[in-house]
Amino acid sequence: MKRSMKDHTTHGNIYAEFHPAIEKRKNIRMKRSMTDHTTQGNVYAEFHPVAENRNIRMKLKIFLLSIICIIGQVACTDLDIPPMNVIQDKDVFATEGGIRIYMARCYSELAMEDFRYSPTRGTNHFWIINPQPANTGEALSRDLNGATAEQFNFWERAYPLIREANYFLETLPSYAKNFQEADVNHWLGEARFIRAFTYMALVKRYGGVPIVDKVLSYPDQSIEELRIPRASEEDVYDFIAADLDFAYANMKGSSETGRANKYVAAAFKSRAMLYAGSIAKYNQVQLFDGSQNRLCGIPATKANAYFKAAYDAAALLDGKYTLYRKSWAAGDKQAQMENYINLFFDATSPENILVKEYKYPETVHGYDAYNVPRQLMGGNGYSAEVNPTLNFVELFDGIPKNPDGTIKTLDDAGKYVLYTNTLDLFANAEPRLRATVIVPGDIFKNESIEIYRGIYTGSATGGISRLLPAGSTAPYPSANIVSSANAQQTPYTLPNGTKKNPAGRSGTFTADGTCSVSGFSVRKYLDPERPTAEVLENRSDQTWIEMRYAEVLLNRAEAAYELYAAGQAGNYLQDAFTLINQVRERAGASLLASAAALNNINIVRNERRKELAFENKVWWDLKRWRVLDREQNGTIYRTLMPFYAAQAGRYFFDARFDERNSRYTFDNRWYYQEIPGSEISKSQNLIQNPGY
Amino acid sequence: MKKKICHIALCILITLTCACNKEFDDYPEPAETLAGNVKDAGSKNNVQSEAGDRGMRLVLEELSWSATPTPYYFFTMQDGTFRNTKIFKGNYRISVEGPFVPLVQYDGSGNITVDNRKTMDVAGTTNVDFEVEPFLNVAWVGEPVYNSADQTVSVQVRFTRGTANTAFHQNVTDVFLFVSPNTYAGNNNYDNKYSVQVNYDGTSGNDLLGQTVTLTTKDKLPPSRTYYLRVGARVDYGLKYYNYTDIKSISTP
Repeated sequence: MKRSMKDHTTHGNIYAEFHPAIEKRKNIRMKRSMTDHTTQGNVYAEFHPVAENRNIRMKLKIFLLSIICIIGQVACTDLDIPPMNVIQDKDVFATEGGIRIYMARCYSELAMEDFRYSPTRGTNHFWIINPQPANTGEALSRDLNGATAEQFNFWERAYPLIREANYFLETLPSYAKNFQEADVNHWLGEARFIRAFTYMALVKRYGGVPIVDKVLSYPDQSIEELRIPRASEEDVYDFIAADLDFAYANMKGSSETGRANKYVAAAFKSRAMLYAGSIAKYNQVQLFDGSQNRLCGIPATKANAYFKAAYDAAALLDGKYTLYRKSWAAGDKQAQMENYINLFFDATSPENILVKEYKYPETVHGYDAYNVPRQLMGGNGYSAEVNPTLNFVELFDGIPKNPDGTIKTLDDAGKYVLYTNTLDLFANAEPRLRATVIVPGDIFKNESIEIYRGIYTGSATGGISRLLPAGSTAPYPSANIVSSANAQQTPYTLPNGTKKNPAGRSGTFTADGTCSVSGFSVRKYLDPERPTAEVLENRSDQTWIEMRYAEVLLNRAEAAYELYAAGQAGNYLQDAFTLINQVRERAGASLLASAAALNNINIVRNERRKELAFENKVWWDLKRWRVLDREQNGTIYRTLMPFYAAQAGRYFFDARFDERNSRYTFDNRWYYQEIPGSEISKSQNLIQNPGY
Repeated sequence: MKKKICHIALCILITLTCACNKEFDDYPEPAETLAGNVKDAGSKNNVQSEAGDRGMRLVLEELSWSATPTPYYFFTMQDGTFRNTKIFKGNYRISVEGPFVPLVQYDGSGNITVDNRKTMDVAGTTNVDFEVEPFLNVAWVGEPVYNSADQTVSVQVRFTRGTANTAFHQNVTDVFLFVSPNTYAGNNNYDNKYSVQVNYDGTSGNDLLGQTVTLTTKDKLPPSRTYYLRVGARVDYGLKYYNYTDIKSISTP
């Protein structure tokens, strides 16, 4: 309005130059409506009839000038405004809904190793046929046949999210007046949590990385300023701890599903500090920059402080969450197994700490399609990508074992033990095993999952001797064994005249890897309710549990045992013992008899490997314990091959090295992954990890 | 029409002229040669290694370019020699990494305590030898023996500490007889079917230091072939690279 008045005044002045005599009238007109310039002209004409010609010319001039002025007036709109089609800070940060949207994006970018992660393709990828469990010894897969480091550039995915968190932290305070203080603090804590989570994902891969705790801006800052060098590994863990401490202190005790709260922060702190403690204690690699920063490795003297921090953080969750035991019943293995299966599907589980929800059709994954047993294969033609190894299965209780801990399939005379059904071998197995792994003959989706390698046609009189010498990696002899190359089987006629396929409907086939290649199939997280018609890629939508209370208990137990082993004063051994037994009891496993029986760190570690199997956590554990190069040292994992003895009409089991001879060797360099060359090209201040 | 053709022609001319930038890369092509050996400080023999990125590599930092240059790496050959004929002329700090006592050592707080890197100008053909202390010396004892009874080959080796520095006396973790159908035998290239690895737990490998260890190939070696044999052993240090014997061949009858 002000601007408009000014334009009219200018107009008036021009007019006045030509007609000084009507100065007065002009003022009157100014007081009247100034909008109609035509009226103005008419008024003028009435007063000066003698100047008709001149008037017409003037009229025209005024008219044109008016047009120009109007155009000018319109053109004088301030163009220096933010683009209207881009959402601005005030749209996002002024409302709770906006903040929720901002956070939703951050969470979706979080580097979770979930249903959409594989070491070859990275996080948030749909095509997961190189499953991480086939990289750790938990499982074998036809599409991942040896140890691998991650083969994607995680670095470039992490820093954008860190920037988003930093931007949030810097921007929210200026909108704080719109909200309750408690809410603002909660959200600031949440952004710190997101940042800590991302740094955790970086440090466990690369060691020390550049710490960026504010929004960087170019060109306000010079390139040289932006080339932030790597911080020490210790500093990164301390930075994570500080962020999570802030989150714990400032966040509320509860939050909507899928978002962090103070206890989620504490749970992740227990994980992060446990990693830091392990690296301080077990790592040998050292890499310094020129300024005494240790980019790889943490001084061993810091180990106990980190273990203590992990222990204390885990203890903060006491009484806030519990292990899932809704359908658990003492002494009832079936109920315990059902309970353990349900744990991964119950949205109201009191064990869930942080989950990532999926929902068809917006956010989906293909876990079922890739991993169902062969006989339940869906329309995309995938199946059985994750086949648990015998090495993994042998960690569990309740199966017949030799003194050295390997499965017992031979009787004392060295002949195979015969079973009527393949499931009989696992009749007394720990419920957690059968809830985690589909063993041959187990029931899934109301079907018996048939897994056997072939039919043994030789004589069963006097028992059947080993098909191959112990420890052999050779293929099975063709004499006396009928097998199938693939799922199109030619039935074999048994001595009693009935027909039987040479291999189970879910394997094992000799030429086709779509079956179980290890004698087992994964069960954990496989949706037992999903009809086969829906077992498709990008169709599954079960929830991923990134952090559950069992892990917190195991974090605490491990930290406690490490503190005990380091001679720290406190009731640590007793505490570790109690925690391990809590986990074991729920699992239906045999309990530790006494605290004294907990005499080896491997008891704690194996508990973790069993409880958290197929949750994409084990690889990182094996790495931080620095044992993976020992475990995968030209290693061939073991499998369990059931055979049907035609003459005896019963099954026997042959434990052997993977018939495919997939050999795993972990390269010691992989404890610290290679910093992507493209990142070093961008910032020559980044020092590469050793050996690359 | 003519005008149009002229315009198009002009456009093409401008494009081509722009493309014809006569500014070449300012730097002369790297043409200097850096050659030499990585030798055992004790025996003055070359340190054996494997080809590729788990063998030994040279680290070149071109100080005449920058005080903190991004290192340039290249690998030695498996017999411990190296030769690179495409090095830029300049002043370099040169180091070598591999299965031996590191040339640069740090104390716990990152101060350099030992620095055996060499700073030199590389011009023309520059020869430089590095004398290092391998973690282990692995040596043949006698010649490989063909066992006609089971078509295997047995070898005898002895491994000893290559350094008196007890900071690098970690446990011996394994000894490995690598069998390869070509002369590149080592952890990077061996035949699983015949090669054999013996792992040691804890300090049990250390007890064999200085002892004669016999290793026999797995499975049956096919007749009338030549195999190349090599034994590697390593200690539990750093990236756990192998120290090797040199390569011997054996022809099966």
